[in-house]
Amino acid sequence: MSAVSETAFDNPLSLHARRILVTGAASGIGRATCTLLSQLRARVVAVDVDEAGLEGLQKDLAGEGHARSCFDLEDVERIPTWMTEVALAGGPIFGVVHAAGLPCVRPLRLLTPEVYRKVLLLNTEAALALARGFQKKAVGDPRGGSIVFISSVMALVGAPGAAAYSLSKAALHGLARSLAVELAPVKIRVNCIAPGFVRTPMFERMAAQWDNVELNRVEQAHPLGLGAPADVANGVVFLLADTGRWITGSVLTLDGGYSAQ
Amino acid sequence: MEHIYAQLAEILELEQLTADVVLAECEYWDSLTVLSIIAMLGASYGVHLTATEVRGMTSAGDLVAAVQHRREQ
Repeated sequence: MSAVSETAFDNPLSLHARRILVTGAASGIGRATCTLLSQLRARVVAVDVDEAGLEGLQKDLAGEGHARSCFDLEDVERIPTWMTEVALAGGPIFGVVHAAGLPCVRPLRLLTPEVYRKVLLLNTEAALALARGFQKKAVGDPRGGSIVFISSVMALVGAPGAAAYSLSKAALHGLARSLAVELAPVKIRVNCIAPGFVRTPMFERMAAQWDNVELNRVEQAHPLGLGAPADVANGVVFLLADTGRWITGSVLTLDGGYSAQ
Repeated sequence: MEHIYAQLAEILELEQLTADVVLAECEYWDSLTVLSIIAMLGASYGVHLTATEVRGMTSAGDLVAAVQHRREQ
């Protein structure tokens, strides 16, 4: 292998030696993000409740210095303390990607507080707690950092049965904008990515319940076809790396044209 | 399985549900209700039916029988 220089000047996407914490790392968008980050020489902290999935991820990661943490993000009150432990164990964290999420398709009449609070807990409250943990001096990289929340086109457009999910993802956009302003003085950028339907294990489980008519409808709603996890991972690293250094408080829509119609 | 009729009744917004009730005649029988039933059956009974399978059931009794059958497999 030739000795190619990978300084930030040569490759603005390089994340050499930067430590990035990724939630939902065991599958789908989180997993693809971890894999791409490792190829860009980042040190990945892979987080998920699925311990076996985290173990399976290890073989996909290039390079060394990665860590994994089996942690339940529904324990939001403990997130900042746990992040301090992660930083003390392996060094400061440069970036956080919140890819863990809970889908929900329910008609309004069945949206009880128990149902929608569970969705909000993982999709939204955990995101806020991750940001709280990240801004601590004992956790964040002193050079600054970047937070990316994975939201959804469902935060931008509506669909029947999507109220709880839309609520949880649209809240991330507001959260990102306010945190972007609040954390700019300490050089932390905060952005969202709003993907359309992506062929992840979560999508496949949902699609398995649909009939062919519904599946065709969803596919045809994406002029460029359904997305792949790597399509979203590409956007994540763009926002994390120096390519995104002047971007904060933004929502990057990656949906194959879903919301353009 | 003793609560399954009560759980289905809650989703269909019926005070009571018996085996002979024709699902397609229920006021709230639509695609979102079908998805809600699928989610409930998966969470409560570990049974994963498709929308096509649920729509193919005539009565509440047919649906419950299908769930029982799937659990015994």
